[in-house]
Amino acid sequence: MKTLIRPREESTQPRRIVEGYPQTAQRNPAQPLVRREPTLSELTGPLELARRVKLLGGDIAGRGDKQAIGQLIHLKVRVLDEDGAPVGGTVVEIWQANAAGRYIHPNDDDHAPVDANFYGAARLVTDETGSFTLRTVKPGAYPVPASDGWWRPPHIHFSLFGRVWLSRLVTQMYFPGEPLNAQDRILNAVPDAAARERLVARYLPPAADPYNALVLEHQIVLRGSAATPGQP
Amino acid sequence: MKRGALVPTGEATVGPFFPPRYVDAGANDLTQLEGRGARGEVIEIRGRVVQDDGAPLENLIVEIWQPDAQGIFRHPADPRHAQADPNFLGWGRAATDQDGRYFFRTIRPGAPQGREPHINFMLMFSGLLRILKTTMFFEDAPDPVLNLVSNRRHLLIGKKEGENLYTFDVRLRGGNETPFFDD
Repeated sequence: MKTLIRPREESTQPRRIVEGYPQTAQRNPAQPLVRREPTLSELTGPLELARRVKLLGGDIAGRGDKQAIGQLIHLKVRVLDEDGAPVGGTVVEIWQANAAGRYIHPNDDDHAPVDANFYGAARLVTDETGSFTLRTVKPGAYPVPASDGWWRPPHIHFSLFGRVWLSRLVTQMYFPGEPLNAQDRILNAVPDAAARERLVARYLPPAADPYNALVLEHQIVLRGSAATPGQP
Repeated sequence: MKRGALVPTGEATVGPFFPPRYVDAGANDLTQLEGRGARGEVIEIRGRVVQDDGAPLENLIVEIWQPDAQGIFRHPADPRHAQADPNFLGWGRAATDQDGRYFFRTIRPGAPQGREPHINFMLMFSGLLRILKTTMFFEDAPDPVLNLVSNRRHLLIGKKEGENLYTFDVRLRGGNETPFFDD
């Protein structure tokens, strides 16, 4: 199956250099990017990654009576292409801070406490409807190290592959109604308000299970459209 | 739903806390798949990634995608994919060390249809709100993608340092900045 990749509308993607985020000015090219027409090399990509990387499942909120501290959430995510077709069988990597805003990472030296029952990283494969459910706790906000009072709002990181090299996506998902969303320099690097809104998940009615978990849904759209032979 | 009706989700940085466990042991060795060796010439690619002031970047994620020794991509869009090497997936991931260095062990790619031999690179890091994409070539040759780059094309050509060793350094910004692509 062939995939068509079109240039994205710039306003729906983040600016590369962001005021108040000094690393962006050190690390993004000064020269204009070279515009290329994708060839077979960029219109193919790894489809069997699950044979290469270890899957970790989609439950990072604890096991048995060792539950992570925080608000339990079930996050239902659908991964679609630009035609709305589900992207099934693709590897998704997910990572986030714990409820106190601390990551499981040697570089995170924030004062917030670690939570031994919180796993912090999930890696799974979407089902044939492009869906997966993550069981986790709501991540805490945290101050950006060595910044001028910038706090990241609660957010969850996603890394996805899709069907071709150019459908690779690294993104972050936000929570509705968070006061810190309005000031976040990463979320607000996306100029288009509707595109920013699509980075925010939606609450659904709570789960009818013994935990009464909060339920959120989110949609992720990967680049690519079906290219049918004979059609432009 | 109308073709192309949905807008691709906005990118964001991987940030400084990409889980180290996602750089799986052996993820930078493309020559083996489930214990079986791929066909072709084994090569090593080493490089160093620096920012504007020349400082090396630690924990930057480098991913590569390439065809097998015959130039076939393991993907149904490649008309020759039925002949693809069953023991070669074509994808790898590495994280840079404290000196900004990454390392891949792979198979020297063949020439895909209409292209010269090359390896696709992606870089992800704190401060990169969008993935940076570039391509490494093995020699200066009339490749349609390399031809888009005029005076800086030499920066996309890996340096042969030994029988099976190439270096491909990446400078994100500043003098001798690596050319990056948008598509």
